[in-house]
Amino acid sequence: MSMIEFHNVQKFYGHFHALHDINLEIDQGETVVLIGPSGSGKSTLVRTVNGLESIQKGKLIVNGHDLSDPKTNLNILRSDVGMVFQHFNLYKNKDVLENIMLAPRIVSHIPEEENKKQALDLLDMVGLRKWAHNMPSQISGGQKQRVAIARTLAMKPKLILYDEPTSALDPEMIDDVLQVIKKVTNESGMTSLIVTHEMGFAKEVANRVIFMDQGRIVEDDDSESFFKQPKTERAQQFLSKIISH
Amino acid sequence: MQNWINAFSWLNVRFLLMGLWVTIYISVISVILSFIFGSILGIIRYSKIKYVSQVVGFVIDIIRNIPLLLIIFFTYFGLPNFGLRPETIPAAIIAMTVFESSMIAEIVRSGIQSVSVGQMEGARSTGMSFVQALWHVVLPQAYKNMVPAIISQFVSLIKDTSLATIIVVPEMMQHAQVIYGQNANYILPMFAALAVLYFVVCFTLSIIGNVIGKHLS
Ligand SMILES: Nc1ncnc2c1ncn2[C@@H]1O[C@H](COP(=O)(O)OP(=O)(O)OP(=O)(O)O)[C@@H](O)[C@H]1O
Ligand SMILES: [Mg+2]
Repeated sequence: MSMIEFHNVQKFYGHFHALHDINLEIDQGETVVLIGPSGSGKSTLVRTVNGLESIQKGKLIVNGHDLSDPKTNLNILRSDVGMVFQHFNLYKNKDVLENIMLAPRIVSHIPEEENKKQALDLLDMVGLRKWAHNMPSQISGGQKQRVAIARTLAMKPKLILYDEPTSALDPEMIDDVLQVIKKVTNESGMTSLIVTHEMGFAKEVANRVIFMDQGRIVEDDDSESFFKQPKTERAQQFLSKIISH
Repeated sequence: MQNWINAFSWLNVRFLLMGLWVTIYISVISVILSFIFGSILGIIRYSKIKYVSQVVGFVIDIIRNIPLLLIIFFTYFGLPNFGLRPETIPAAIIAMTVFESSMIAEIVRSGIQSVSVGQMEGARSTGMSFVQALWHVVLPQAYKNMVPAIISQFVSLIKDTSLATIIVVPEMMQHAQVIYGQNANYILPMFAALAVLYFVVCFTLSIIGNVIGKHLS
């Protein structure tokens, strides 16, 4: 069963052609890492999957919902598709616990008791229970990202999109976050699509690697073969550059 | 000196305070109405609803760039042509509300825009509707940022009620004119009294605004 299907998808920002003829199928339970140079369209691709960006041509089906159809209810789609952002995007007006409890309460209408228990359990899972009543401004970037992951998990998503979840973090915070992401992807059987520049992490967590350049998917391979030896020269160059850094 | 004492006879002071009461009455009602309408219009303009937001934006821009005095004239002398004949006080309230709503709408729109798009995207990505995301996440942050701008707009509103004297609304400024109209020696004392009274009212509002601002943050 496929979770995501791109069929000849084109995306334009005005006249700028950001995604060229994307064809891609991701099955349920896969962990796919998306890499590529800056401006290659990774964020754009990931953001089309939950409808944060619209597509102009082609067909895009996510969890059975047709995103190319303007009548598709994006709110229903998104309640099954979580997203973790580079800059966390925690609600600044709510404390950590409320950040996690808000969507389950007003979108899924979970009973308050159950919601609170779930939120506290998730905070335990990411190691932040004692920060439950702090505001986002009072915790570190790494902690914010772990809260953001807990917030996403609280909706029990079938698919999680990560857009450079550690790029905005200080080096010493990155590992804690990657650890949590690994735990989530390993344990849950959830589908994950992860944009990252952390190649060590990518190697460990991914079943499959997609390499993009200039709005196109240049390479799509299982993780092992890709990291052993990318097929295209473009990907080889990219890998050697990023690993030597 | 005798002029000042005579100017502030009990009768005159009472008359002036009656004017103050009308000024406050017009102000309070206009503040409440323009806060409500201004917020709705600002949110509509921000929401980019096809056609609706553009029309609202266009009207707001027109109103914001017309002198309030002219809007007061339109309401009082123009509306009768459309079969509405408001009394002076309602006319003043309508004019103030129309003008101030469009000012507040712009404050609200830019207040919402000052909240980073990530807040909206974070909320929408969990499945919240646009309205839910606005209500629970974006607007509380936006209004917190907007308190100073809104308060200073309402301070202008109070001062601008004095323009309503032009259609003989029995507010403070107009009552002062009646008083010094009887005796030119009262001009200076009345101006002084007006300055003090407007200051007290507006400054009180500023203090209330600061308290609200502190409370929110
Ligand atoms: N809202 C937008 N309007 C216009 N152009 C955009 C917009 N967002 C992205 N682009 C352009 O689309 C291209 C792809 O951008 P995108 O953010 O998807 O790249 P990326 O691979 O995520 O890059 P990075 O690694 O820097 O995050 C870039 O050339 C970018 O300038
Ligand atoms: Mg990006």
